[in-house]
Amino acid sequence: MKVEGKKKIWNDYQKEIADDSFFYVRSCVRQNFFPGSEKTFLRIFRDELHKDIYENAAHTTCSGIGYHSDVVPFETAMTMVARQFALMTESGYENFTTSCITSFGLYTEILETWNHFPEVEERIRGHLFKATGRVFSKPKNLSHASDVTFKFRKEIAEKGPYRLVNRNTGQPLKVVEHIGCHYSKMFPSKGLGGAEYPYVLVGMIEEWGGEVVDYPERRHCCGFGFRQYIVQANRGYSLACSKKKFDSMEPYKPDFILTNCPGCPMFLDRWQYALSEMEGITYGENGQGIPVLTYEELAGIILGYDPWDLGLQVHQVPVEPLLDKIGLPYDPSKKFLDKEGKSMGKPDAPGFLKFY
Amino acid sequence: MHRAFLSFIDMAKKVLVIGGGIAGMTATASLAESGVHVDLLEKDDHLGGHVQRWDKLFPSLRPGKEVTDFFQNKIDDRVQVHMNVNIRDISRMDDEFILSLDNGEKIKGNAIILATGYELFDAARKEEYGYGIYDNVITSAELEDRFKTSGKITTSNGEVPARVAFIHCVGSRDEKVGNLYCSKVCCVTGVKQAIEIKELLPSAEVFCFYMDLRMFDRNFEELYFEAQQKWGINFIRGRLSECAENPDHSIVLKTEDTLTGRPLKMTVDLMVLLIGFIPSPETRRISGMLGLQSGNDGFLKPEDEHIQDNITAIPGVFISGAVKGPACIVNTVADARATVLQVAAYLKSK
Amino acid sequence: MGKLYDLLLQDVRFIEGLKACLNCGTCTAICPAAEFYDYQPRKIVDTLQTRDDARLEALLKSETIWYCGECMSCVTRCPRGNAPGLLITALRSLSQETGYFVESEKGRQQLAVKRTVGDWILHYGYCLYPSEINPEMHPEQGPIWEWEFKNMDAVMDRLGANYRKTGPGILRKIPQEDLDEIKKIFDETGGTERFEKIEQWSKEKAVQMGLKLEEGLNSEYFRHIYTANNNKHTKKDEG
Repeated sequence: MKVEGKKKIWNDYQKEIADDSFFYVRSCVRQNFFPGSEKTFLRIFRDELHKDIYENAAHTTCSGIGYHSDVVPFETAMTMVARQFALMTESGYENFTTSCITSFGLYTEILETWNHFPEVEERIRGHLFKATGRVFSKPKNLSHASDVTFKFRKEIAEKGPYRLVNRNTGQPLKVVEHIGCHYSKMFPSKGLGGAEYPYVLVGMIEEWGGEVVDYPERRHCCGFGFRQYIVQANRGYSLACSKKKFDSMEPYKPDFILTNCPGCPMFLDRWQYALSEMEGITYGENGQGIPVLTYEELAGIILGYDPWDLGLQVHQVPVEPLLDKIGLPYDPSKKFLDKEGKSMGKPDAPGFLKFY
Repeated sequence: MHRAFLSFIDMAKKVLVIGGGIAGMTATASLAESGVHVDLLEKDDHLGGHVQRWDKLFPSLRPGKEVTDFFQNKIDDRVQVHMNVNIRDISRMDDEFILSLDNGEKIKGNAIILATGYELFDAARKEEYGYGIYDNVITSAELEDRFKTSGKITTSNGEVPARVAFIHCVGSRDEKVGNLYCSKVCCVTGVKQAIEIKELLPSAEVFCFYMDLRMFDRNFEELYFEAQQKWGINFIRGRLSECAENPDHSIVLKTEDTLTGRPLKMTVDLMVLLIGFIPSPETRRISGMLGLQSGNDGFLKPEDEHIQDNITAIPGVFISGAVKGPACIVNTVADARATVLQVAAYLKSK
Repeated sequence: MGKLYDLLLQDVRFIEGLKACLNCGTCTAICPAAEFYDYQPRKIVDTLQTRDDARLEALLKSETIWYCGECMSCVTRCPRGNAPGLLITALRSLSQETGYFVESEKGRQQLAVKRTVGDWILHYGYCLYPSEINPEMHPEQGPIWEWEFKNMDAVMDRLGANYRKTGPGILRKIPQEDLDEIKKIFDETGGTERFEKIEQWSKEKAVQMGLKLEEGLNSEYFRHIYTANNNKHTKKDEG
């Protein structure tokens, strides 16, 4: 594989990412399953890098999951998004950054729709005003929080003592990067690196010392599928998609998977568990599975944060073996303790996947 | 006294042919045969354009060199051939055109035939096909190079490929790369090269992945039949969606077999991209200097597509060959000869 | 062009999504649903461009339009600039507006989506909510989630959330006045009407099927649509 070919494509798909004064909107999935990630994002950017990342407490879901499972009409979704823009405008911001990839895709799709059909934008303005009395300006800059993290990857590297290197062998860790479908598949020019060879996570991995692993099913959806997961009868689809990816990446022996969409790490994590229970299959070394990280968690690891502050304890596939490779210390006895240091009991061990 | 063929033309007149590919060579040869003075300008250091790169031509698989040699031999000392030329400027004084070259020369003539042709689509732009990234993805032009030079077809590991795939419509009929048009000759090129692979590697499995098979000219359909019946080449109606590289550098491709309606995943050892035409940079540049109009597809527009196919809105400026769009050699030769008659009529009227 | 086709033309996603299809198959080639289901996005687009209302009605009542996972991989590839994924969203909307969705096993599931994600948007202001993702309905979430579910407040607290509290932060309690605005948006833009239609058509279907449908997630009809799979959704193996 010739990397120069990819580099040329990465250069063709540059993207304007604001560098400060962000209006931040949260992700439904990330808040539910990876709250430590959103906490870490704000900690890094506010406390370490002294950026202005503003959250308006009146903001809500963009309704993306509802929209993509088709119970929320497009008109409603557009007006929900318009309300978020109105909050941004009222709060005095122009740079909009989303925690969720589906949100990013939805905001992008809606802005493009309004570009092609200005009368639709007018109509939505009317709806929003009638329903809430609010008015909005469109963002000057729209980014995903992984774009922002990419932008400041060097600064994070400078502050961070840890690297994606196996401290036992001295070799760079092999990393599979998984981009959320709604990042750039619909609008390649809105994604760093485009749709075919996205660079947003590659850039982080390279900057932080790791080796990117490409594999045939890299572009394949993790299988969220919205209604394909929400309804139990459909979950086979979702599982099959993830399995396809695991089978394809396994020969390359990745040390971990890095994701930017909030749903993907949840699925790539939990479907490894489900597969192990259903078929006795595990991936990775010694039945440990292949750990899956969010980019916020990874940034936090580079910076040497306590893994239990990052939220790594709520992963089903254990992250400890990876932390051991990197050399980030952690206290196993504190894994399942609450904020006051008291025990919260312990999860049951899964049948096949290792549990620490 | 030697009577010039087109004797009604004043022998003091000169025609400037810009571009020394098939169209330019044919026009030049016809003009020279007719006794007209010609300056032939070529940007490279050799004549023959793209055709001199091809090994064998469809549909008969005759050597391309025979065609280029034929016209080369007709370019005698009535013709002033200028190589390695870069035209900096074109101006006009009454019925005389003046081409200013980079080296300071000024070349004058009374009519211009613009025959600067096409360029091949840069396959790297079709990112999901992995050209320039995966080792075993090559273009049809590169395959032709291999036919012409070594006649050895191997994978990046130096092995003989057991399975070869041809991908049609690369860079053509594709809104994603901005080329909506069909490049016409790639389909028959694919059929030809598939047969040539089978001739060299009889035990190889060869697949052609197409959307339509444009067997538009004489003996093309028969070639397609031969490809299937004699050579056992497999034609699958499905456009390549994406490919990826396996650890052993073989290529795994994803298409749909649209005739059976099923997605299809296949591993091949060598993948050949049938790349299409784009207007050449020189065509764009020089037509811009002359003020010529292009169509939405970027190729040049004649005054009338049916009945004034070589004439432009600029009196004395004629267009010939692939400047107007994808064309095969047979059509280009005919087109160039027709252009000469239009030029003659123009010069007669002056 | 028929009534149904005209309705589709009013959906801007239909306009964006369908230019003209030449049946090249690049969409179906990389569609995850086409890998696992008896499904080809190409065929859907092909059917749509016939503009035949009878075929369109059959499509709206079929299982077919519910297989797509809306990953939009098809959009990246189409050489004609079509977007099968967007067309699916338009079809699914129309299927629910007309009530045809209850004619298929997969379509009937929309009530399950509405009563979970849909209602949570209005109730909480989020599409998902921890206390609602109960392990019984989500065994695949694993023992880790079971443990979290039992200790949710404490876990959320540990991870720095502002769970169920006021002010900014993770999973904060969204103020009632903002939830009221969301409800007004839904009322104004047809969202409420959509939810009501899903409920109404489903109620009628439940009666037809002889299954009890009550509020919440536990009645016969709900359990049925949430779990039923007739195993006829995948391709038959051909030689």
